[in-house]
Amino acid sequence: MTSFSITSEYMEPSNVSIIHVAGYLDAHTAPELEKEIRTSVRQGRHRIIVDFGSLEYISSAGLGVFMVFIEEVRANKGDIKLAAMPTKVYSVFDLLGFPVLFSIYEQVDDALAAFPAP
Amino acid sequence: MSLPEVTIPPLCVPAITANLIAIRKYVRSAAATAGLPEMEAQAVALAVDEACANLIQHAYKNDFTKQIGVSITYTSTEFVVKISDTSTPFDPKTAPLPDMRRYFLEHRHHGLGVLLMTRVMDSIEYVPATNGTNYNTLTLVKQR
Repeated sequence: MTSFSITSEYMEPSNVSIIHVAGYLDAHTAPELEKEIRTSVRQGRHRIIVDFGSLEYISSAGLGVFMVFIEEVRANKGDIKLAAMPTKVYSVFDLLGFPVLFSIYEQVDDALAAFPAP
Repeated sequence: MSLPEVTIPPLCVPAITANLIAIRKYVRSAAATAGLPEMEAQAVALAVDEACANLIQHAYKNDFTKQIGVSITYTSTEFVVKISDTSTPFDPKTAPLPDMRRYFLEHRHHGLGVLLMTRVMDSIEYVPATNGTNYNTLTLVKQR
């Protein structure tokens, strides 16, 4: 059984990587997301959107992944924007105050529009 | 009339992160049997996941030959999860809880599990292995 899947697309005109996550993001699967974001950052793509639309579950291991990269991407005029979070996923971010540090959007398109023109 | 205590048959699994999904499934199934509301079931599964992830990665250091035991009892007033292990005793209640303002300023990325557990559960008790038992027990309680 696959408990977690991840797909990425690169929006060339806006220079944004969109990472779609699905399933269960926990201490077992968080390294996959970390690898995907690291790949984007190493390619110099610091404008990142994570689409949570199909995510069923997140634990603190998943939240920690965003903390690993947020300083580096912002130092390079980028950001990690979070979008389309189901309520049960948002509630975990909210429990720890993460909405203070991260911009969270209802839709991926809203997050895309929030990046300034490259 | 209060419900008599109901015991769910325990789960015992090798201490690997791949088993976190089975542990959460066990908790969710018991929560459904107990008739726990969705939000509470989700909170308990999260707390148990955090406790077991800490055991696997920090206490057992990913040693797959070690085991984690999880057992559940419930009554009409509380839902109780006991997690047992044989690692070096560590009471999570003695771990300093992070100040989230400093956590964000310092861009830290570990150490949120115990804080999450304390935020979603009503009580957390820890009993280390003694001469009487050879395993540590963490008890997580959700009031109903």
